[in-house]
Amino acid sequence: MAEANQLFKEFKIQSVSEFFRRNAAMLGYTGKVRSLTTLVHEAVTNSLDACEEAGIAPYVRVEVEELGSERYRIIIEDNGPGIPEKYITHVFGKMLAGTKAHRNIQSRGQQGIGISGAVMFAQITSGKATRVITSTGDDKIIEAWVKIDVDKNEGKIVKKEKHPNPKGWRGTRIEFEVKNVRYIRSKQGVYWYLKLTAIANPHAHIDLIEPDGKLIIFPRSSEEVPEPPVEMKPHPRGVLTDDVYRMAKKTRRNTVKRFLIGEFSRISEKKVDELVEYVAALRLIKTEKDKNVQKQLYERLAKGDVKAVLRSFRGYTKVVKQVAKIMEKPPEKLTWHEAEEIVEAFKYIKFLAPPTHGLRPIGEKNIERGLKGILKPEFVTAVTRPPKVYSGGIPFQVEVGVAYGGQISPGFDVFRYANRVPLLFDAGSCVTTIAARSVDWKRYKVDDPDRTPLVVMINVVSVHVPYTGTGKQSIASDEDIYNEIRLAIMDAARRLQTYLSGKHRHLRQAKRRKTFEKYIPEIARALSVLTGEPEEAVGSYFIGLVESHFAAKESETNPAEVSENA
Amino acid sequence: MPKRKAIHREKPKERFSYDPSKVLGKLEEYGRHILEEIKSGKNPYFDIPMRGLSNVYFDEKKRVIRMGDKLSRRYFLNVAHARKFMQTLVIMAYVKRLVSESKHASLREAYYANKHTIPGTKENTFEDQSESDPIIEDLERMFGVLREEMHLTADRRGYIYGDIVIKDGEDEFNASKLGSGGWAVPGTVEHIQFPEVNVDYALVVETAAMADRLIEEKFAQKENALIIASQGQASRGVRRLIHRLHYEEGLPIIVFTDGDPYGWYIYSTIKQGSINLAYLSDKLATPEAKFVGMTMDDIKRYGLENVTEKLKGIPPNKKGGPTADYKRIIEEMNYPWFQNKEWQRQLKMALKMGVRIEQQALANKSLEFVARRYLPEKINSGDLLP
Repeated sequence: MAEANQLFKEFKIQSVSEFFRRNAAMLGYTGKVRSLTTLVHEAVTNSLDACEEAGIAPYVRVEVEELGSERYRIIIEDNGPGIPEKYITHVFGKMLAGTKAHRNIQSRGQQGIGISGAVMFAQITSGKATRVITSTGDDKIIEAWVKIDVDKNEGKIVKKEKHPNPKGWRGTRIEFEVKNVRYIRSKQGVYWYLKLTAIANPHAHIDLIEPDGKLIIFPRSSEEVPEPPVEMKPHPRGVLTDDVYRMAKKTRRNTVKRFLIGEFSRISEKKVDELVEYVAALRLIKTEKDKNVQKQLYERLAKGDVKAVLRSFRGYTKVVKQVAKIMEKPPEKLTWHEAEEIVEAFKYIKFLAPPTHGLRPIGEKNIERGLKGILKPEFVTAVTRPPKVYSGGIPFQVEVGVAYGGQISPGFDVFRYANRVPLLFDAGSCVTTIAARSVDWKRYKVDDPDRTPLVVMINVVSVHVPYTGTGKQSIASDEDIYNEIRLAIMDAARRLQTYLSGKHRHLRQAKRRKTFEKYIPEIARALSVLTGEPEEAVGSYFIGLVESHFAAKESETNPAEVSENA
Repeated sequence: MPKRKAIHREKPKERFSYDPSKVLGKLEEYGRHILEEIKSGKNPYFDIPMRGLSNVYFDEKKRVIRMGDKLSRRYFLNVAHARKFMQTLVIMAYVKRLVSESKHASLREAYYANKHTIPGTKENTFEDQSESDPIIEDLERMFGVLREEMHLTADRRGYIYGDIVIKDGEDEFNASKLGSGGWAVPGTVEHIQFPEVNVDYALVVETAAMADRLIEEKFAQKENALIIASQGQASRGVRRLIHRLHYEEGLPIIVFTDGDPYGWYIYSTIKQGSINLAYLSDKLATPEAKFVGMTMDDIKRYGLENVTEKLKGIPPNKKGGPTADYKRIIEEMNYPWFQNKEWQRQLKMALKMGVRIEQQALANKSLEFVARRYLPEKINSGDLLP
């Protein structure tokens, strides 16, 4: 038996790391370059979230040290609120692999395993514990070495030390030691990830120290710390049976009716009555043998003729009463089947659009600041569209920034974000790329996009971004989202067009001016020969004429604003 | 007993005049104008008589092509004009230096002398001669002077042979004592004077070959004529020389070209000036010139049918026509100065026969034929076209 236990133990250790490896793709730890980016992403995201919630303007420092071949120490330090001692294991050990609870809240986190995944990754590649140094700004600094206990699947502190904190330092510093990763400056690497993060988070100051000791600073370009997103009650159209079922189990309300009204948005007393009718109608339709008749009934129901559908069945009142009873029972008694029926009925009922107050776009001003601060373009503009709904009930919002010229190198680049998080992979299948490419740039004075210094950043904000695949690195091509992105791009592109035509006008003016000015010395010399007037005097008359001519021209055409927001 | 000739010298109508201060005055005047404009903060400009057919008309009374009064304004502050404005002034300054130093320069020299890179650009003041030549023409039109008066000379072409004494600067010589090559007409003939003229008329000959033939046959001595070889289209020097010989010395001018549209056009430019240089017609054209040949009638009269050449191009009655020679003939038929019976008849004949006849076709008869019979007969009997 002991032997079996032994085996069992072995098996457990295997299974957790095995699980981790098998689901590496899902968790973002795949490939030597991407694994490193994911690890940094998890830590930086934590820092930004923590600062946001505490209302602190974030300062994040990322240091990559090369320890050997494919062996690195990654240090992420922030000036956030710090982690209280008793929460350290909680923060670093909560392995929520794949159980991203459907919290109806916009979040940066995509994988739901957060920093514990990073700790795990470090542990299974290098075998080393993760060093955490943190303080909430009180009189002590905690230094802890954290590992994941593979038996219990939770975090445990291997070693802990307390240090005095005379300077009142506050923040968190995490040091990972990882193997089998590679640091390169590619578009999927840490550098690029941080650059894009800095653009989408202009309120953050980010430092990066590369393995060769090079310090790269992405400075803060906005002092506004964004409001943390708030949880929104789910919209009936945006939920699955499982959501309803699990929410019903957890709720504190005492009847299903109260639960529905209280936990969902856009459900009122009246809507519950309507729901009862629809559920009943659906039950009755299912009893219909004739497929054609059934189809017609479904269609009528979709049109909202629920009363007529009910009346076409004899004894329908009995069914309605049965369904009404469901609404009066305690929510924890709600069966899976009933939840299924409710969700199905939701699809037929007309609801108000979901609330969007919880969405947190970056905002036009901040996008402009971010693009300007990091890319140093000559022109920048941004568009934040009003919130919309996709697949009937999930609110989302699209933002687009366009940066042109300046220090941007020639070529058309799309920076993709979901909830402010840069997406670095699977660009080809992403709705943002498809939408950006579908725009006819020639209409906006961008004749050859591939040779124009142009960056288009696209941020899709939603409580539930529809990713494709498990990688969560590209957004599914939903028609509503696609159209919204296109509209936003065209909006921004129009402003770019205005700027470019103004710029062309200016260039033309400058060119024209030069046309005249370059001849002045020749003219002055010749006229001096002809009239005996000193050359300089003649030259200055001509310069004066050109000056006044163009001054008059300037005043009649307003110079284009470098940034304009209609 | 000398027979009375149809051709004899007439009384002079013009006096020799050459005044370099006129050009300097013009340069000064225009330069001042520009300076005043710019001083008062105005956009300075030149008013230049327009070139081209649209600003040309035929003066029926004087029988010459004249320039109209259309002006084009060349501003400094105009993207399309600025460069030419600068070039105009540069050439003006250059001309001032030439005239005040009494130096002469060819058009090509004028181009090279003023071509340099504009400081701070990759641009030259003049990219090639096709930019400087028109500017010089503009100045001629603006000032109403010949470029020769601005000491700018054209390429020399043409020579004369005959019993006239020429004074060119310090030198004086007789143009029949310079050997069979005669005296080459310089690019500018403004300063040349004719102390003695012992000929009855001047015969302008299109080809050098024909002129040499006539010199060899002692035509000049026998007929008391001055032979002027134009060597194709008469250069400005030659045209000016013809004009001066006619108006200052009273020499009748008779033109002898090939019988083809090109030859007739050579005659027409000598007689009424050219479209390009309409503004100079008063100085270059000689409306009293007459035409001796070749004519279409000569073909029949002298039995030259077997030495004609076919006209090039498609006749007007054929598909795609008229082109080339035919087209040129039809254009000439429409010129106001060819609106007379004789010329219309000649041109119609040429169209009908579809042939051209060269001067040298006369050699088909004999080498002496042209000098002994053809020319003397036609000239002395007054068988000339107007």
